[in-house]
Amino acid sequence: MVTVLEIYQLLPKTNCKICGESTCMAFSVSLLGRKRKISECTPILEVNFKKQKEKLEALLLPSAGAEETGMIVHPELCTGCGNCVVACPVDVANDPKGAAIGCAPTNDKVIFRVVDGKVVASNIKECRRFGKNRVLCYACIDPCPTGAIEFV
Amino acid sequence: MSTCPGCALLCDDIEVVVESGRIKETRNACRRGAARIKGCINRLAPTIDQKPSDIESAIKKAAGILKDSKSPMLFGFSNSTCEAQVKGIQLAKKLGAMIDDTSSFCQGLLIEKILQKKFRTCTLEDVRNKADVLVYWGSDAQDSQPRHLSRFSYFPRGESRQRGYEEDRIAIAIDVRESNTAKICKGHFYRIQPKGDREFILALIDALSGKVPAYEPKKILELAAILKKAEFGVIFVGIGLTYSIKEDFDILVSLADKLPNFQIMPMVGHYNMRGFNENLFKETGFVNRVRFHDTAVHDDKYSIIEALREKSIDALLVAGSDPLSSLTRSLIRHLASIPVICIDPCVTMTSKIAAVTIPCAVSGVESGGTAVRMDGKKIGLSKIIESDYLTDEELLVRLMGAL
Amino acid sequence: MGIDVGKFLKNPEYEIKITTFRDIFQVEAQERDRFGKDYEKLSACIVMSKNDMEKMGLKPGDRVKVANNNGSIVVEVRESKRDEPGGVAFMVNSPWSNVLVSDDTGGKGLPDFKNITAKISLVKEEITSLESLMEYFRKLKQV
Ligand code: SF4
Ligand code: SF4
Ligand code: SF4
Repeated sequence: MVTVLEIYQLLPKTNCKICGESTCMAFSVSLLGRKRKISECTPILEVNFKKQKEKLEALLLPSAGAEETGMIVHPELCTGCGNCVVACPVDVANDPKGAAIGCAPTNDKVIFRVVDGKVVASNIKECRRFGKNRVLCYACIDPCPTGAIEFV
Repeated sequence: MSTCPGCALLCDDIEVVVESGRIKETRNACRRGAARIKGCINRLAPTIDQKPSDIESAIKKAAGILKDSKSPMLFGFSNSTCEAQVKGIQLAKKLGAMIDDTSSFCQGLLIEKILQKKFRTCTLEDVRNKADVLVYWGSDAQDSQPRHLSRFSYFPRGESRQRGYEEDRIAIAIDVRESNTAKICKGHFYRIQPKGDREFILALIDALSGKVPAYEPKKILELAAILKKAEFGVIFVGIGLTYSIKEDFDILVSLADKLPNFQIMPMVGHYNMRGFNENLFKETGFVNRVRFHDTAVHDDKYSIIEALREKSIDALLVAGSDPLSSLTRSLIRHLASIPVICIDPCVTMTSKIAAVTIPCAVSGVESGGTAVRMDGKKIGLSKIIESDYLTDEELLVRLMGAL
Repeated sequence: MGIDVGKFLKNPEYEIKITTFRDIFQVEAQERDRFGKDYEKLSACIVMSKNDMEKMGLKPGDRVKVANNNGSIVVEVRESKRDEPGGVAFMVNSPWSNVLVSDDTGGKGLPDFKNITAKISLVKEEITSLESLMEYFRKLKQV
C-alpha cells in the first residue's frame, strides 16, 4: 500500500501553497485520500518534474479503480465469510434484523453482500470514512482474514 | 431461501438464482458453499470394471459383489441426507456388514462423548445470543466453516450481546498454526507445538485450580483469568485438538468440569457427519465402527482404517466419500485389492479404481432431505434444481431390492 | 524409495515436523474439479517460515522432496504470510500430505494426520502430480 511519505518524496517539497494546502506533506495526505488531484500542484506539471510526476501517477494509479472513499475490494482474496457484512456499522444500523445479527442481509441498504462466494460492495457513499462526519473506521478491514478489503 | 450443504453449519439463508434449470448465482453462501452449490465439472457415469454401463446393470453388479462378499463394509455417508444414512444402516444390517463413516478418522470421538452427554453443549443460537468467551481450539473455522464467526459466534449482535464483538465478546484461538481464525483472534492467540494440547490442558487445569502451571505460567494464568470471568463460554473443538488428545480424550472432560460456565461444541466439516453419528447412535448406541451380527457390535477393528490395515474386509461400498484421497497411502494398498462400489455425484480418485460406479444427485442441491448441523439441530435441505440423477437414498433402496 | 535416497543427493537434507491444515481455496478447487490444475497447485505445496527457509537455503517456488518411511513426494515451497517462529512446516490436507502419514494407529483407527516427521531437500524433479499418485494406486490394483 502507498504511504504518505512515498508521495511526499516525489513532490517539489517547497511548501509553495499553490495547491491550496499549507505544506507539501498536507497535500500528500490529501492526494492519498483522493481529495485532491496531482494537477492541482502546478509546479510538478513543469518539465523538470516530468519523471517525478510520472512516478507519482504510477504510484496512485492502482487506486484509480477504487471508489471515492478509497475502498478497494480484492475478490480473488475473499473467502465470502461475511465477517465484513456483519461487522460494518453501516450494515448494522441499516439492517438490524439481518446483517446485524449475523443473518443474510434483508435489504439493499447494506454496504457488503456476498455474491458467488465473494464480497460485493455497494452504497459506498454511506461508509463512515466518507462525508461530513467521517471517522477512520476499520470495522471491515480488521475482521477480514485475508486482507481482501483495503482503503487507499 | 435454500440451505447450503457446503459444511456442517448448514446455512439456511442462501439465495440461489436459477436460470433455465441451471444455477446462475449464489448469494450469501461463502466461497466453499458457492463451490458446492455450483457443483463439479466431472460428473460420474455408471461403469462396471471401469467400462461404461447403465444404472440398472451397475446396481445389479453391485448387489452381486455384496452378495458374494463374506465381510463387506459400507463407508462414507457424511455427504448424504439423514434419509439416505438410515437406508445405509438398514443395508448394513441386512448384509451383516460393517459400517463406518468419515467421523471415524475425524470428530467421531468427540461426538460420541457429546451424544453420551459427557459434555455440556448448546445450540449455535445460544452462542449468538449469549456467548461472551469463544475458544477456537485446533479449529480454523474461517477456512472450514467460513461463516461460523459471522453468523453465530463473534461478530453478530445477540440478545444479551447487543454491542457485538467489539465490546461484548472475546475470541481466543489455540493452535499450532496462526490460521485465519487465529488472525481474527488477535491478541488472544496461543501458539502450541504439535501434540502440545495435552500439556496445555494440564497447565490450564492447574491454573483454574489455583496452582501455578508448569508450562508458560504467565500466558496460561492470563487465559485462565479470562475463562473464569466468562458468563457463557464455548470451546469449539476442532480436529486439531481431537487428533492431538485422542489417546486420552477424557482430559477434555476434566477441563470442562473445571469450567462450569463453558459449553463444548464439535466443529464438523462434512455437512451431515453428525447426522450419521446420531442416526447410528439411535439404532445401535454407537456413533461409528459398527458390525451387524445378530446385534450391533462396536469395535475399533471395525473402523475403516483398521479394517483396511487388517485386511478384514473383502468388499467396500463407498457413498459420498473419497477414501483414496483422504486416507493415508499405506492403508490404500488393501483398498486397491478388493472390489469397491462407489456412489457419488462426481468422479473421485476412488471412483477411478472402483469395480462399480453409480452416479447420484448432489444432495442438498439436486435433492432435498434433512441433515444435522454441527450443534445437533435438524435442518431441512433444499432441492434447488431438478436433475435426472437418482438420490443416494433411492439407489440404496434399489440396491437392497436387488439383493 | 524412502529416506535412503538422501545419500545420493548433493543437496542437504533437513528433518522437519509437518502439520496439516485446511485451505478454503483448495477446498473450492476440489469441489469444482479434483483432477484440475488449481487443486494440484493448491495442494502440492509446503508452507514454511522465513526462518526455516533461510536455514535450509530454500526460496519460495523451489521444489523440494519431502520423504519419510511412508512415502515421498515433490512439492513447491511457499513462504508463510505470518510471522512464524519456525520449527513446524504446514501442508494442506490432501492426497499429497497423506502419502507421508503413518498408518501406525496402535489399533485405535485414527492415524496421526497432523503430526508428520519427514526429511526435506531441494530437488529439480517435477512436482508430484495427482495423476502419478493415481498411477501408483492403479499399479497396486494390477498386482
Ligand atoms: S470503513 Fe467502516 S463504514 Fe466503511 S465500509 Fe468499512 S466497516 Fe463499513
Ligand atoms: S472481504 Fe474479507 S471479511 Fe468480507 S467476506 Fe471477504 S474474506 Fe470475509
Ligand atoms: S459456512 Fe458452510 S454452510 Fe455456510 S455457506 Fe459456507 S459452506 Fe455453506
